[in-house]
Amino acid sequence: MKHKLLVKLVALVGIIASITLILAGCGSSSSSSADSNNPSSVEKIKKRGTIRVAVFGDLPPYGWVNKDGKRVGYDITLARRIAKDLNVKLKFVQVNANNRVDALNSNKVDIVLANFTVTPERKDVVDFAKAYMKVSVGVVSPKDNPITKVDQLKGKNLIVTKGTTAENYFTSKQKDVDLLKFDSKTQQFNALKNNRGVALADDNSYLYAWVKNNPTYTVGIKNIGPNQYISPAVKKGNKSLLNWTNKEIKKLNKQSFFTDDYNSQLKPYFGDEVKPSDIILPQK
Amino acid sequence: MAHSGINVLFEGTNLTRLLLGMWTTFKIAAVAIIIGLIIGVILGILRTFHNPILRFILRIYLEFFRIVPTVVLLFLFYYILPRQMNLHMPGTQVATLVFALWVAAEMSDIVRGALISVPIHQKESGLAIGLNRFQLYRYVLVPQAVQLELPATINLVTRVIKTTSLLMLISVMDVVNIGQQIVEANNQKYPTGVFWIYGLIFLLYFLIDYPLSWWAGRLEKKRLEQANGE
Amino acid sequence: MANEVLKVEHLEKYYQKKHVLHDINFSISKGEVITLLGPSGSGKSTLIRCLNGLEDFRNGEITFENKKVIPNEKNWQQLRQKIGMVFQSYDLFPNLTVLDNILLGPTKVQKRNVDEVKQEVDELLEKVDLLDYKNVYPRQLSGGQKQRIAIVRALALHPEFMLFDEVTASLDPEMVRGVLNIIQDLADEDDMTMIIVTHEMNFAQQIADRVLFLKDGSILEDTPGKEFFKNPATDQAKEFLQSMNF
Repeated sequence: MKHKLLVKLVALVGIIASITLILAGCGSSSSSSADSNNPSSVEKIKKRGTIRVAVFGDLPPYGWVNKDGKRVGYDITLARRIAKDLNVKLKFVQVNANNRVDALNSNKVDIVLANFTVTPERKDVVDFAKAYMKVSVGVVSPKDNPITKVDQLKGKNLIVTKGTTAENYFTSKQKDVDLLKFDSKTQQFNALKNNRGVALADDNSYLYAWVKNNPTYTVGIKNIGPNQYISPAVKKGNKSLLNWTNKEIKKLNKQSFFTDDYNSQLKPYFGDEVKPSDIILPQK
Repeated sequence: MAHSGINVLFEGTNLTRLLLGMWTTFKIAAVAIIIGLIIGVILGILRTFHNPILRFILRIYLEFFRIVPTVVLLFLFYYILPRQMNLHMPGTQVATLVFALWVAAEMSDIVRGALISVPIHQKESGLAIGLNRFQLYRYVLVPQAVQLELPATINLVTRVIKTTSLLMLISVMDVVNIGQQIVEANNQKYPTGVFWIYGLIFLLYFLIDYPLSWWAGRLEKKRLEQANGE
Repeated sequence: MANEVLKVEHLEKYYQKKHVLHDINFSISKGEVITLLGPSGSGKSTLIRCLNGLEDFRNGEITFENKKVIPNEKNWQQLRQKIGMVFQSYDLFPNLTVLDNILLGPTKVQKRNVDEVKQEVDELLEKVDLLDYKNVYPRQLSGGQKQRIAIVRALALHPEFMLFDEVTASLDPEMVRGVLNIIQDLADEDDMTMIIVTHEMNFAQQIADRVLFLKDGSILEDTPGKEFFKNPATDQAKEFLQSMNF
C-alpha cells in the first residue's frame, strides 16, 4: 500500500517536472522565434497556398453549418473573402469558445474569426485586428408596453441571466433597477412571457434574433452601456498578418462589404427592426 | 410548433453527416484500439520481467496515462507538444495516437495482471519441457492470460469508444461535434430537435457498445462457470 | 564411472538466510532408480528441482553425462530436454488439447517432424490407455488421466533421465495405481534412469534400487533399497518408517 503510494507520487512528480520542462522550453523557443520563422506570416500563408481559419460551427448566425453541411455565417463570409483576397485556399478549423487562444498559440490556425470579443485580458495573449462588429446590452419589452429609456426601469423588475454582460452592467452601473436573475436563457424568456418583470436585458444581437420569432416584443433599448467589439485575432507578435488584416478590413469597409454580409447572413435572423448600423461599425 | 423535432434528422444532409461523424469516431477508436492492444500486450509482457529499471519506466508510463485525464492528454498532444517540438499532426492523428497510448497503458496493466495470475506451475511445466522464455510466453502464458483478460479488454474497448466524445476539443469532426452543429443550426426551427439528435447519437453509441458489454459479461460468466466446475 | 548419468557434489541451497540443503553428494548410474524419502519439509522437492535448474543453488557442482553443468538459463533449457520432470500438480496447459500439450516440446523445442512425432505419441497414448482422449482439453480429464498425460508429455522428448516429484500426492486413491504402474513399466521395460520423490512406501520399496533418506536438508542414508526398508541404519530413518506405518 505504502509502496503503491510512493510510485504514484514519483510518477506525479515526474509528470509535473516534464510538463514544466516542456513549458519552459516552449517559452524560450517562442521568444527567440523571430518574424522569419513565424509560420503564419502573410508570406508563409501565400507560399503554403492555404489559410487556416478558426471558426465556430455551432453559433448561428455567425459561424454555423447549414442543413446541406456547408459552413455559413457572418464570420464565415469574412473568412471566405479574406482567403480570396490573399489568393489562397481556405481551411476551416472548428473551435469552441475555450480553445480559440490555444489554436492560435500552437500554430494550428493563422487567424481566429469566431465571434471573438475584445477584452483587456485577451489582449495580453493575442493580437486583435480592427473590429468588424459591435455588440452591447439591449433591453426587450412587450410591444404594447415598451421600455425605451432606462428611467422607465427605476424601481421595477428587470429580468437577466446570471453571469452575462447585462447582469454585470446593471448591477454596477444602474443600481436603481431591481434585478430578477435566472440561470438559463430559456428560464429568462419564460419569465418575461409570464410578466415576472417589465423587461429583459441581454446581448442585443441575441435579443434581435429572439424578437424575430416573438413579434409581440420589441428591443426598445438597442444599446446601453459600453459597446463591445468583435475582431479578428492573430497570434501575439504576428505583425505581418495583423497589418494585412487591418488594411483588409479598412478596404472592405470602403466597399460596404460588411453591410452586404449583414444583409445576407444576419438580417434573416434579426428582422427588419434592426439596422445594419446597430451591429456593424461606421463604414467610412 | 408545427414541426416535429424528428424531422430535423431528415433535413438536407443532416443524417448523412451524423453517420459520417460516427464513422470518423469509429475509425479513430478502431485504429487506436488495434495499435494500443498490440503495444499493450508487449508492454504487459515486459512488465513481468525482473528488470527493475524497465519495470519502473513502464510503471511511470502507466501511471502517467492513468492519472492524467484524457481531456488533458488530448490538449497536451494537440496544443502544447507541437509548440515545443514543431511537430504538427492533424486532430484525427493526434486523437488516434493519444487513444492508442492510453489503451496500451491500460492494456499493459491488464496483461501483466493476467500473466502473473497464471499459476506458477504452468510456467515450471513449460520450462520443464525445454521451452525458452519466448516460447513459454508464446505458447503457454500469453494464451492463458488472454483468456483471463478478455472481459477486461472488452470493457476497456467500450470505455475508449465512449471517451471519443471528447474529440471535439481538438477540432475533430466526430459525431458529437456534428450533432452539436445540427442542434444549434436548428434551434429556432426545431426547438425539440436536440432530443432527436442526441437520441440518435445515443443509439449509435449503444449499438456499438452494448454488444461488446454483453459479450464481456457472457465470457466472464462462462469463465466463472468453468472455474467452479473444475 | 562410465555409465554415470548424474553426479551431485557439495550442493548447498539457501532460501535467503535459511540453509535448506547441506552438502549434498550422490550420483546415479544408467538404468538406476533412486527413491528420495524423508519427512515433509526435509528438502526432497527442493533437491530434485535443483537437478533441472528450476531452483538455483549456491555452492556445489552438478555433472550430467560426465559434463559439468554451468548453471545458466540457456544450458538448463538445453538439458531439460534430456531431463524430464513430472510434478505433483498435474499441470497440463489448459489452452491446448492433450495432443498439442504433448507435441509442444518435440515440435517447437526439438523441431522434430510433426507427423513422425504424432505417430510416436499415438503409441505412447495407447500404452497409457488414453488414445481416445487425444483431442480433448485437459479440463475434461480426471486427475489420474492428467497425470498420465503429463508423463507422456515428458517422455515424448526422449529424456535420458526422469524426475518424479510426488506425482501421486494429489490424486484420489483409486487413481494412484494407474500412474505408479506407468512408472514401474518405465523401470522394467525401458530401463529408465529415475529419481522419484514419493510417500507411497510400498511402491518405493518395490521400485527402488537405492534409497536416499533426507532429513533437515542432509542426506542421512544412501543405501540399497532392500536394505533400507529391512534395516535402516539411522534412528531418524526408523522413526520415519514407523510414522509411515511401515
